[in-house]
Amino acid sequence: MRRLLEALSETRGEWRHGYDLMKATGLLSGTLYPLLMRMTEQGLVEAEWREPAQPGRPARHAYRLTAAGAALARDLAGSAPGQPFTGALA
Amino acid sequence: MKASFARALLRLATACIGERNRDWAMAMEAELDTAIAEGAPVQFAIGCLLAAGRGLFAAEEGHFVLTSYAVAIGVLLPMAALQIGCALFGLPYLYPGRHGLGGAMIDGGLQESLLRGVYQAAIPSLALLQLLIGLGHVRIAWVVLERDWAAALRWGSLSLAASATLVTFLSVLFIDGRQALLQGAVLAIELTIIASVARWHAHFFPGPVPASAR
Repeated sequence: MRRLLEALSETRGEWRHGYDLMKATGLLSGTLYPLLMRMTEQGLVEAEWREPAQPGRPARHAYRLTAAGAALARDLAGSAPGQPFTGALA
Repeated sequence: MKASFARALLRLATACIGERNRDWAMAMEAELDTAIAEGAPVQFAIGCLLAAGRGLFAAEEGHFVLTSYAVAIGVLLPMAALQIGCALFGLPYLYPGRHGLGGAMIDGGLQESLLRGVYQAAIPSLALLQLLIGLGHVRIAWVVLERDWAAALRWGSLSLAASATLVTFLSVLFIDGRQALLQGAVLAIELTIIASVARWHAHFFPGPVPASAR
């Protein structure tokens, strides 16, 4: 979750696609999507269907941090690297 | 080839994800094109399938999906196979005398010598009824997995009516309707289970039952 928060906070306000986040974080799809689902339920990430950049391609789900997610990412950036954040995310 | 395999895996993942998270299943599917372009569609699809599988065991909706598959594959389809097997191949389990429908019709007894002609004439109709009950089970299993409860109710009622007819005729012909009655009782239990599954489903989606009955 830490890696995902970091990746999303690097481009705060920009919508990011799932595969792009996989590459940015190194997470596999089996880890990334459950994380995104949970973080969306917790109000840390917002998700939206975005029109494709290239015509003829399907619409894609895109993600960005909410204000609460950004605040958590800032807290995370200010903490020691090994410190767990699970309590804040419960 | 890899892309087709990955699409098949993703369809399976979508089936496991459940209705509440349908949007996320569509999100994974939409991302598959990018995974294909990047050359790793199978790895992407396997990850999605694993995530969907973990979700099945973790959430109550997943328990519901597993239960509905268990009812369809573990109860309804074996009963369908038994009914169809008895109707088409003369399996011995559902009739008096343990010799299948044809054997039961000539299974001794005083009435046999008097009513042999009636028995022989009744065999095709009763076998057809048995076959229809078996095919009804297959259809019920299908609509249960589609969560089409209106269709499940209709097919269940038809199967129950056919079963009641079979019980009546077998009781009259054999003066021993215990096996047929057992079939009817099993069908009633199956329908009770399906009603429970439907109520559980309504717990997740309390809206009106879909009217797309087939």
